[in-house]
Amino acid sequence: MSIVVEGLEKRFGERVAVTGLTFEVKAGEVFGLLGPNGAGKTTTVRMLTGLLAPTRGKGTVCGIELGRASDGTALRKRVGLLTEQPGLYERLSARENLTFFMRLHEVDEKAAWKRTQGYLERFGLAGREDEPVGGFSKGMRQKLAIVRTLVHEPEVIFLDEPTSGLDPQSARTVRDAVAELAAEGRTLVLCSHNLAEVERLCTRVAVVKSHLRTVAALTKLRREGLALEVHVEGEAAALLPALASLPFAPAAHHEGNKLKVMLASQAQAPDVVAALVAAGARIHSVARAARPLEEAYLELVREEDEA
Amino acid sequence: MSDFSFARVKAVLWKDLLELKKNNGMIWSMLALPAVIVLVPLGIVRTYVANPSDPNFRAIALYYDFTVDTDNAARFLVDKVLADWFVLYLMMPVFVPILISSHAVSGEKEKRTLEPLLSSPVTPLELVIGKSLASLIPSVSVCLLAFFFLCVGVDLVAWPLAHDFILPNLMWTFGVFVIAPLFAFFGNGVAVLISARVGDSRLAQQLAGLFVLPLVGLAAGQFGGVLKAGPEYYALIGGIVLVLDLAIVFSARRLFDRERLMSRWG
Repeated sequence: MSIVVEGLEKRFGERVAVTGLTFEVKAGEVFGLLGPNGAGKTTTVRMLTGLLAPTRGKGTVCGIELGRASDGTALRKRVGLLTEQPGLYERLSARENLTFFMRLHEVDEKAAWKRTQGYLERFGLAGREDEPVGGFSKGMRQKLAIVRTLVHEPEVIFLDEPTSGLDPQSARTVRDAVAELAAEGRTLVLCSHNLAEVERLCTRVAVVKSHLRTVAALTKLRREGLALEVHVEGEAAALLPALASLPFAPAAHHEGNKLKVMLASQAQAPDVVAALVAAGARIHSVARAARPLEEAYLELVREEDEA
Repeated sequence: MSDFSFARVKAVLWKDLLELKKNNGMIWSMLALPAVIVLVPLGIVRTYVANPSDPNFRAIALYYDFTVDTDNAARFLVDKVLADWFVLYLMMPVFVPILISSHAVSGEKEKRTLEPLLSSPVTPLELVIGKSLASLIPSVSVCLLAFFFLCVGVDLVAWPLAHDFILPNLMWTFGVFVIAPLFAFFGNGVAVLISARVGDSRLAQQLAGLFVLPLVGLAAGQFGGVLKAGPEYYALIGGIVLVLDLAIVFSARRLFDRERLMSRWG
């Protein structure tokens, strides 16, 4: 296991930033950390990278116990963190920025540069090494920050919003790079609001909102609720009021003549179909569909607030 | 302490010096005060040397010391102004590190580089030492350079009157090589401590700059004839600053904590 945490909690004075974190991340896994803004994702990542000491609970990252001040340096040598802001020194060139972090990690600079050159080429930054970072575009900075995260060949890589602010092409380059890193057998923890990205890259996710809501494989999360895909004649949007009048008022999306209805259980399916028919719908087909991650996520985040 | 690495201190020092080298605005700001500190006393000495028998100089000399040999009033005043000027020279080793350090520490917060930096293996102690050296080395170098130019300038300007080398003398040499570094350490320490608490480099600079004011007060006292500058006087000031330096080291250990910095500024 690359990461094992049990009952991890962080308080700032009286305020609980995050609590009850219990999960494991296997070596070579791409693990997603999801949650709304202010849910405690960044605090969680900071605890896992040795930047903050947990107030309660225990855990290990790369076999190193969290919260032991004496082990902080050892932990930070083995993990890499891409922060939400690239945080680069704008007066320095890309080469100087990377050299600085190589020196902080005390790696063999010659060997590190050999590897880094490959990353720079992959991200389209080769040939720009000696330009001041101040002249780089937002996308170039983000890509350089990713390269900086990799200069010491970390075993576990934490990526906080890696594609934030990137154009679609750059975002794709970053996603491909993440997939390649995963294929190399590295453990990756991805914090993202981009659920499509999480769906594409992660195998399992933890949903956090002040405390851990769930940890599950993506396939399981999507399966846990039932979605019904109904093809009707004409515009599906006209049928939404009929669904809203049902006692369990299921969430529904429409697209042309297609209606996707989220159900809590299989038993609700006949009621949905009956309500649609009663509303005058001419149904062409009814099929069971995979629930999008977004629905599962929103439901998890909403659930306890409503309770 | 087992985690301490000189290589990481060296890396921080290298990066900060590189950033300083590429910051023209900072370089010019650093050089402005030393230029004033060197040029103003040269102008004053030149005034005394140009017309040493000016009766006004006798009156001024008698104001400071009624036992003075009035035939040598101009020479007395040259020595007096150079002894008094040292307290203003001391503004330089306080001010220049404040300029650099407040920018180097608060700048990491402003540029959002603090989190990536703290997520590297560097320890807060290594960071403080690296950043302090990056501030102290240029500051002390600037002070030494200014002293060199002051010596050459004073000796050239005062030669017709003194027919001897006036500077360096024992007091200035002791002051420049012992007291000035203590003041530089103090200026740097104050700036680092304030920067750890405030998020804006200009605010840090302004707050730290207030610590220069006591020196201005001392200078006013000396030029007003209330305080008499001399080796013992400066040695006493040096001793006080040494105690303050030790207090700064103690406070820095408590304030410069990774968790505190992260939760406040990260």
